[in-house]
Amino acid sequence: MRKFTEETKPSRAIFLKWPLGHPLGEPFKDKQHNAVLREAFNALKTIKEPGTIIDVPFRWKRDDDWRSVTIVTKKT
Amino acid sequence: MGRLTNKLIAKLFTRFPSLAEKWVKNAAQSNIQGQVEDIPWAPFNKELKDCKIAIVTTAGVHLKTQKPFNMEDPNGDPTFREIPLDASKQDLMITHDYYDHKDADKDINIVFPIDRLKEMKDRNEIGSISGINFGFMGHIQGAHIDTLVNETAPQVAKKLKEMQVDAVLLTPG
Repeated sequence: MRKFTEETKPSRAIFLKWPLGHPLGEPFKDKQHNAVLREAFNALKTIKEPGTIIDVPFRWKRDDDWRSVTIVTKKT
Repeated sequence: MGRLTNKLIAKLFTRFPSLAEKWVKNAAQSNIQGQVEDIPWAPFNKELKDCKIAIVTTAGVHLKTQKPFNMEDPNGDPTFREIPLDASKQDLMITHDYYDHKDADKDINIVFPIDRLKEMKDRNEIGSISGINFGFMGHIQGAHIDTLVNETAPQVAKKLKEMQVDAVLLTPG
C-alpha cells in the first residue's frame, strides 16, 4: 500500500507494512496504538523534506491462524 | 460489482496482502498518478504539548445518525462527515466496503484513535483535540477524484484552519 502514499504525496507520512484496516494495530492493544502515534508525532517534528515517508519497522507477526496475530513493536 | 463482491474482495486483500499490493499498484497508476503536482508543506515549529490536533480518517467513520457513505456508486463517495469530539464510540459506525473493518468495528481506535488522543491530552502530551474531526470514505475514483481534490478536501482544510488546528493525523482504512 506504500504506492498509494507515494502517489497521494502527503507532506509527511509513516508507513507500516500491516494489513488493510489496521493502521494503528489490533483492537484494544492500546500500547501498540500509542507506539504508532509516537512514531507519527515524531515524524511531524523530524521530517524536514516535503513528501518524506518513514518506514516504521514494526513487524506484523502472524501465527497459523491469520487472525491470531502478534505485533512486535521492537525495532529491528 | 455488487456490495457483496466488494466485501469479499476486501477480505481477500486483508488475508492476502500481496493481492492488495498488486491491485494498489494498478489503481494508483490509473487513478491518482499525476493528480497531485506539488507536495503541500507547512513548517512545524510548535511544541506538541501546545498543539491542537485533529483526526481526518478515510476509513469510512461517521455518526450513526449521519447519512452513510454511498456504497452503490462504484466510483465511491467524495463527501465527508463531521464527527464531534464529544461523540461516544457507540455513536460511531463505519461504512466502507473496500476494506475488512471487522476489527475496527470492535475497536474504532485502530482507524480513528480518538481515545488515544484523549489520553495523550490527559498526559499533557498534546495541547487539545479539535472539537470536530472528519471522516471520509477512501475509495474515490473517476470524476469523484476531482470533487475530492477541488471541493471537499479544501472545505475540510478550511474548517481545520478556522478551528486553529496545528496538525492533522490522517488515518487510512
